[in-house]
Amino acid sequence: MALGQYLVNGLLQGGLYACLAVGFSLVWGVLNVVNMLHGSLVVLGAYFTLYGVQQMGLPLYLVVPAVCVALFLFGYAIQRSLLNRVMAQPILITLTLTFGLDLIVNNLILHVFSATPRSLVTDFGALEFLGIRIPVVRIGGMLVAGLLTLLLYWLLRHSRIGRAIIAVRMDRHAAALMGIRIPQIYALTFGIGAFMAAAAGCAVALIYPVTPMMSGVFLGKAFVICVLGGLGSVPGAIVGGVVLGLVEGIGTLVLGPQWATSMGFLLMMGVIVLFPAGLAGRKGYE
Amino acid sequence: MTRLKIVLAAASLAMMGTVPALAQETLRFGAPLALTGPLADAGAKAKQGYDICVSAVNAKGGVDVGGKKRKLELVEYDYQSETNRAVQIVQRLINVDKVPFLLAPYGSGDTKATAVVAERYGVPMVAASAATKSVFDQNFQNLFGILFPNSMITEGEVAYYKKNAPDVKRVAVLALNSLFPKAIAGDLVESAKSHGYEVVFNTIYSPDTTDFSNVLTQIKALKPDWIYATGYTQDLILIRRQMADVGVDVKILTMTAGPAYPEFADNVKALAENVTTNSWWHQNAGYKDDFLFGSSLKYNEAFRERFKRDATYLEAAATVSCETLVMAIEAAKSISADAVRQVLHEKKFETFYGPVQFGKAGQNDVNAALVMQIQKGKLVVLAPENLKQGTLAIGVPPAP
Repeated sequence: MALGQYLVNGLLQGGLYACLAVGFSLVWGVLNVVNMLHGSLVVLGAYFTLYGVQQMGLPLYLVVPAVCVALFLFGYAIQRSLLNRVMAQPILITLTLTFGLDLIVNNLILHVFSATPRSLVTDFGALEFLGIRIPVVRIGGMLVAGLLTLLLYWLLRHSRIGRAIIAVRMDRHAAALMGIRIPQIYALTFGIGAFMAAAAGCAVALIYPVTPMMSGVFLGKAFVICVLGGLGSVPGAIVGGVVLGLVEGIGTLVLGPQWATSMGFLLMMGVIVLFPAGLAGRKGYE
Repeated sequence: MTRLKIVLAAASLAMMGTVPALAQETLRFGAPLALTGPLADAGAKAKQGYDICVSAVNAKGGVDVGGKKRKLELVEYDYQSETNRAVQIVQRLINVDKVPFLLAPYGSGDTKATAVVAERYGVPMVAASAATKSVFDQNFQNLFGILFPNSMITEGEVAYYKKNAPDVKRVAVLALNSLFPKAIAGDLVESAKSHGYEVVFNTIYSPDTTDFSNVLTQIKALKPDWIYATGYTQDLILIRRQMADVGVDVKILTMTAGPAYPEFADNVKALAENVTTNSWWHQNAGYKDDFLFGSSLKYNEAFRERFKRDATYLEAAATVSCETLVMAIEAAKSISADAVRQVLHEKKFETFYGPVQFGKAGQNDVNAALVMQIQKGKLVVLAPENLKQGTLAIGVPPAP
């Protein structure tokens, strides 16, 4: 049964990783922007969730959508007002700009919420099946994250806006010639990326003690997952997240917990060499 | 143009006279602080400890240097929890700000790295939060540590459990891969083995670990009676929660040093019950302090009035590192590094934190290690006997 428990642990962690990375992957794939702000957006989502539930006394099912919408608007505004001005520049410029924004946002979070860990303590218990324990809060977090990820997948595949985003990802010049307003699509995509970061932040608030310093860790995970799964692809983020969760779990068992985080980066290096488009990515998005 | 001339003239006057005159009135301690980065929480606590010391010293007129009172001032910089930056800042404090005395950055690792610079320039530096023996084994003459060695903590703790929980035989140890946690975990393993415990698991985890479920599943399979975990407070909170997630139940769960801070219980609520910890100080310690605060309890009252919460050993150690330095300067009647260093080496300081006497290596080697347990949401002192507030409760709450 221990093996089953290890697999379940890895899958649960992988589900959270997928949710963390999907917005980052979308922004990178469509906008060609390595969004260094992503980790701080996740942490901001977590703090807004804590604030809504603990300080304002609102129920979680109201707070989660409100936080996601708030961060969508924040992301949309950032892209429209700042990033769109430098989109024609080399990738290093947008990377530096988002890095600067990350420093500002992270320090503001530190200033407002302090570095003392905060948690949304829930007592939902755990389900036990054939000796395998699955915490209910993790199942809930995974379900919400999974549903949102599927919704995003559906949006990209079947809605007009989604098709426009895909078209811009494939060929922005051709998309512009077809009448798609590129700046709006950019802003919408960045907004959706922030929305997904906020959703991950809500899950993070349920699972982790939240501190502003977590942003760097989440950004690093999102980066690895994107490379593993392939850029700009929702299924790629899921595959990358689950693979990373399982590899870190197995790494803990085989080599010890001190090597767990290194295992992810080693795997990333291997994937870059062997599968430049990622495990579930498409050619042309290396 | 005229205005520019006036400004320039005023500036030159200030350079010639006013600034040196002001500088003479003030005594400045250099303090590299971890205000951002992974150690930001500990850095903020250290700052509170220093600030309350500076306010208390200035409230009684300042530092008495050979009959002349000087206002105490901290020259602070945020070293962003990065060791290299801490080293650069200490160099800056000595060479640019010309501070005559230093308070060390947070933790054993950063203290050890910056102590090299302080030693090179002969500037006395008092460390509030370095307990690892290897920090003090470099034969430095300018480094003084307030916290007594880890081994005193682990020896006292293991002896306490041996006596009060005789059924506990198997111990599992999990520590963050960082200088202090690794060192105290190593000392605990040594102490446990020497008292006849079977160490069934002993490993380290990397910083930035986001999931402990698998390592806890491994530990669960080994059926330990006692789990000892040490690392950042946020890691210990996650470990305690994930213990409940994977269903690890033990007789004793000890964590260093997170449960000594109120946020640990705030973040795990009912799961905090019966978690034990070890500490260097507690407000109920009952030590007298005729120099500044009166006693341990009065220090805590002053702290609570200002910061709206109880002080932990961390803030207390920061305050007392500053207080000890002030006491040494007053005893030396001089701000000469040589004179103050000599006093620091020779004198025994009676403070609210307890007696402080720096041994040959520069580390405080008097005081009593505290064993504490969270009972009904509050920290209760279990040992030493003279400070005891309650008895050991066996078993942490089972997984829900």
